[in-house]
Amino acid sequence: MRIALVGQPNSGKSTFFNAVAGYRSLTSNFAGTTVEYTRGRARVNGDVFELVDMPGLYSLTSTSPAEACTREFLLEHDWDVLIHIVDASQLARSLTLTLELLDLEAPLLLCLNMMDEATRKGMTIDSAALSNELGVPVVEAIAARGQGIVETFRAAIKMHRQAPSTPPRPFLYAPEIENAVQELAEVVRPGGSQRAAGAPESRISPGRGVAVISPPIAGAQRLARFFNPRFEALQLLQGDPIQLALRDPVAAQATENIAAQITQRLNHPPDVALSSARHAACLNLFERVVRVTKPKADWREQVDRLLMHPLWGYVFLAAIFVGFFRLVFDVGKLGEGRILALFEQLIAILGQAMDPQGAWFALAQGALLGTAGAVAIVLPYLLPFLIGLSILEDVGYLARVGYLMDAVMHRLGLHGTATIPVLLGYGCSVPAVMATRILPSRRDRFVAALLAVLVPCSARMTVIFALVGFYLGAYWALAIYVLNLGVVALAGNVLAKIWPEIAPGMLMEVPPYRRPSPRVVLLKTWWRLREFVVIAIPLLVVGSAVLGLVEFFGWQNAINAALSPLTALLGLPAAVGLTLIFGVLRKELSLLMLMQALGTTQVNSVMSAAQIVIFTLFVTFYLPCLATLASMVRELGRKLTVAAASALLVMAVAISLAARGVLHLFL
Amino acid sequence: MPSIAGLDPAVNLYQAKPHSLLRISLISGGWGVRRNLNQMGLHVGDEVSIIHKAPFGGPLVIESRGNRVAIGQQLAQKIGVEVVK
Repeated sequence: MRIALVGQPNSGKSTFFNAVAGYRSLTSNFAGTTVEYTRGRARVNGDVFELVDMPGLYSLTSTSPAEACTREFLLEHDWDVLIHIVDASQLARSLTLTLELLDLEAPLLLCLNMMDEATRKGMTIDSAALSNELGVPVVEAIAARGQGIVETFRAAIKMHRQAPSTPPRPFLYAPEIENAVQELAEVVRPGGSQRAAGAPESRISPGRGVAVISPPIAGAQRLARFFNPRFEALQLLQGDPIQLALRDPVAAQATENIAAQITQRLNHPPDVALSSARHAACLNLFERVVRVTKPKADWREQVDRLLMHPLWGYVFLAAIFVGFFRLVFDVGKLGEGRILALFEQLIAILGQAMDPQGAWFALAQGALLGTAGAVAIVLPYLLPFLIGLSILEDVGYLARVGYLMDAVMHRLGLHGTATIPVLLGYGCSVPAVMATRILPSRRDRFVAALLAVLVPCSARMTVIFALVGFYLGAYWALAIYVLNLGVVALAGNVLAKIWPEIAPGMLMEVPPYRRPSPRVVLLKTWWRLREFVVIAIPLLVVGSAVLGLVEFFGWQNAINAALSPLTALLGLPAAVGLTLIFGVLRKELSLLMLMQALGTTQVNSVMSAAQIVIFTLFVTFYLPCLATLASMVRELGRKLTVAAASALLVMAVAISLAARGVLHLFL
Repeated sequence: MPSIAGLDPAVNLYQAKPHSLLRISLISGGWGVRRNLNQMGLHVGDEVSIIHKAPFGGPLVIESRGNRVAIGQQLAQKIGVEVVK
């Protein structure tokens, strides 16, 4: 048996999923998009079933990658029961999706989650009456406190057991709409009047993420049970007319004729007419099943007056993020020192057990150093960072950050929501790139990821401070940060010109503050951490082992020679060539290797002040580390990652060359 | 449900006064804009009020039946409103 969870974003679907299938779950990736749904085996009261958690969606006509992914799953994969989870405190709005789901005419269960929130808003919901009106079972829950989760799944299992039950009645629109829908349904029905033999079939194959649901003939993957002409007609009438015309001119012509009829009769285009009809029906339904009394006085209102204030909002924003980074840094440093000491002991033990002059030792030491890089240098910062991020997210603060920063981010050709990945970049680029997933378009994700890897992460910070800060003074280090901000702003502006934003601007739900559930925070952290562990650690270990061998066989001279055109162009000693390769593995390694390559810890004895600045600038900008590149490939795809990496490399050379030209005036 | 045609919006949402009760009278813009707003539960005829307004041309937070939504300036300018009180 397979149960699928569907619901608007922020309705708490994942809480349900994690409560019964938290571990042993798999992620599946859809080709071409970065969006995924999560599958897991779940067991409730001895019944084992497969549970699928999908990205949140507001409507079946949605086009964002996350929403398209959900819709595709619903129509192209088999499932037995669909659970629609709604935020009960947003019942009127959420029910519009329920009405759309009824059109699937497949087993549906409605779960009213966050009942406590609804009560706080003064709402008393008559679930039995709602169930009667909709013709589907309704269950109440407060999933964050663990209430109603088991009951919800038991109700879904019961529905499946009683099969074949009669499917729910679809929501019926006004007769003039239904007649038009019926007319279109006749056309799109396989073998329908317009599809007589010889009629041209769509030449454009169905792609993913296209605005309209594939019409039955083009969409060969559609499961037979969802071959419902009325549903198809409804989707066609509400889809993007331009996309439809591109995909299937025959269906587009028929749709256009009927859409014109509806527009003429109702004064609205069909998408507005249908959406408004659902909206009105839901408001009516709401009136009938919900009694609203005065809401309780809410302290959260006062909090928002401060945190979203035009002045104090920004003061708190700065304070919260400084505090957050401080905490991450302190915790990370504590962990880093201890774990690194452990690895040093391990290497010492290894040196006794193996021949320290042999190739095997070089290989093992390299692998161990790579593991140390991941476990001792990245994890201690990444773990508290991800926990803190999940808390900020679940509390509801990240949405406020997006609101506050929207105006600033617009100058960079992004929305307020993109603030989060860019700010995260100061900590570690890996979670920053992962965080771009919250953005709706591929273009926004690319721009945000590029800007996020452009800001110096904490590893690059150590290079800046240990080289420029130490040898030239704190103001020089600060100047690099200021220069970096300028480059970020410039890059954002240039990108906005090359690839302009399409979305008309921010449109985002502002969730109420909620107490985060520790279980959900930890699970979310684990999910994000797992990606780092799975992607980055193997790369670091293998890469470091290979570099260990390079050193062992003394290939560094050949590598330095190969890189000498670049180092000569930048006016750097040839010996720093290899350190740049190490820097791709781990940024702070270029610092350690620099001292090794130059054979001294007194870098200023062999490099001039200008060379130190140029080297640092180049290391800051040139390429993100391997772990970051791996997560970029995952989030953006190979092509865009290569584009981003090349752009960064060109930018780094340009900046370093400019510095070489200018610095002699100061140093 | 007032019809779209024949309503002359006094102001667009971005220009409206915060905290006063407004009614959406018009949503201009194409299919995508309409769909995005409709999905957020905002339709012509709905009553809304502005709760917060960010500085420097930033977004608005509006409330409609207990539902809070942040709307960027450009989008808010596409929404015509009339003042209810």
